[in-house]
Amino acid sequence: MRAIEVSGLSKSHQGFPAVRDVSFEVAEGTVFALLGRNGAGKTTTVEVLAGFQRAGSGTVRVLGLDPWSDRAALRQRVGIMLQEAGFFPELTVAQTVGIWRDFTAAPRPRDEALELAGLEDRSGTRVRQLSGGEKRRLDLALALLGRPDVLFLDEPTTGMDPEARSRTWEVVRDLAGQGTTVLLTTHYLEEAQRLASALAVMDQGEIVASGGMAETLAARRGRVAFRMPAEVRPADLPLAVTLEGDLAVCRAEDPDLAAQTLLSWAAARGVRLAGLEVRTATLEDLFLDLSRSAR
Amino acid sequence: MTSPMTSPMTGPMTGPMTGPRNMAATCRLATRLFWRDKSMVFASVVTPVGLAVGMPALMRNVTGVAAATHVFQGALALLLAITAFMNVTVVLAGRRDQLVLKRLRASRLTDAQILTGQIAGTATQTVIVTVSCTLAVHLVADVPLPADPVGFAAVVIAGSAVLSLLGAAYTAAVPRAELAAAFTTPVFLVAGVSAGAMGPIPLPSWLPPVLDLLPTTAVVDAVRTGELVVPLLILAGWTLAGLAAIRLWFRWEPRRS
Repeated sequence: MRAIEVSGLSKSHQGFPAVRDVSFEVAEGTVFALLGRNGAGKTTTVEVLAGFQRAGSGTVRVLGLDPWSDRAALRQRVGIMLQEAGFFPELTVAQTVGIWRDFTAAPRPRDEALELAGLEDRSGTRVRQLSGGEKRRLDLALALLGRPDVLFLDEPTTGMDPEARSRTWEVVRDLAGQGTTVLLTTHYLEEAQRLASALAVMDQGEIVASGGMAETLAARRGRVAFRMPAEVRPADLPLAVTLEGDLAVCRAEDPDLAAQTLLSWAAARGVRLAGLEVRTATLEDLFLDLSRSAR
Repeated sequence: MTSPMTSPMTGPMTGPMTGPRNMAATCRLATRLFWRDKSMVFASVVTPVGLAVGMPALMRNVTGVAAATHVFQGALALLLAITAFMNVTVVLAGRRDQLVLKRLRASRLTDAQILTGQIAGTATQTVIVTVSCTLAVHLVADVPLPADPVGFAAVVIAGSAVLSLLGAAYTAAVPRAELAAAFTTPVFLVAGVSAGAMGPIPLPSWLPPVLDLLPTTAVVDAVRTGELVVPLLILAGWTLAGLAAIRLWFRWEPRRS
């Protein structure tokens, strides 16, 4: 069952195409990551899905509803963490959550929402005194108040310290485990890789890569890197490498096999490959490759 | 095409069963935030109350009760222009530019509930201030209490609601929040002049009949004459104009360029 369906979505701002012919689907109870550089069209896509902007063309459905024309009905079932939105600065954290509970049918208890967001110790603090990361956590608490079926998280952990970020990841994972569908945009590729089971990468308004996280990464080449021994020339090595400073980097579909080949070659010649590092493809590799090819 | 910055009000004008509850919640929120904001309380309560009570009190001692009564009735236009219109314009333009309206739209409130709650909150404050001033000028300047309290209440409530609605619609003309108060000054001046709150000012003969169509003047006329039908029809016309303007032009987010 699909919670979010986007087909041929395009959207322009004052004649500038922000999103061009974007299509993707998000299965119920999964976390989907929408990635891309600044200005790639992620936030516009999220704002169309959340009903803040009307689709220029194409079809968008969230839980079977049109986010623009069925906005009031859809709002009862979604939670939204906007990339940028204001608070009432004079209210305390607890008062803010209390007011939002007034707007929400069958809301979570206030203390539960604060605990989920890790703000239980800041409940008496005025919002204007919160740090940027704490405001993101308050944002999360508000988005979770109504136990939404679909959660839109636009750059949710920006400004959070590592502990808060890790805690937020745990909350998102738990929610997905309980059946909540999550659409996440983030600049932190580790975050996407840890949380999402599927992804789409946007560039200049278009989707340039998409699919399941595991399959997409498995299809990319891994990386073997080591410090280039002074007595060795790249042409001497059994595999092609590129030099990145004093590092020799070999890209291979099977990085384990490539490492074995290099180590066998080095052992036979009594050469030491210092700082050897082997890793499968990461989202960062994918992202950087796509960015390079886009340029 | 509709741009994100000027997205019109969407969704049903009345919510489902949760509608009244949510509207009451936003009204309470508006009231709570208003009374916490000391500068706003000063600008939109202390100043107009000073004018509406102080001027008649002075007139009472100089020219008598009749003049004090006339000035107070004219000052009702100032109360409506400041406590209702300016207040709601400044508050909504500020929340728009600080993206608070956007956050409220991300909640389960409908657009109509967000705006109606704010308008109802501002209108309620205006009614309270107007009634308090009416009692105060009776005590300090011997201005007689309204002969028809029900009619007075009806026109004050209707006027407060309409001016609050129009103030919400007027935010579309305010480019930035810091200009909101300045942008409402002409409205304040025209409302005051047309109601005679600023003394006799010579006007070209064609202008007074036009100014009589202002919502503030309609309220003042109703209070002065006791005639309700025409003023309430004028207020109904302004209500339709305000609702249409909100639907067409209200901006929930600041301009991005």
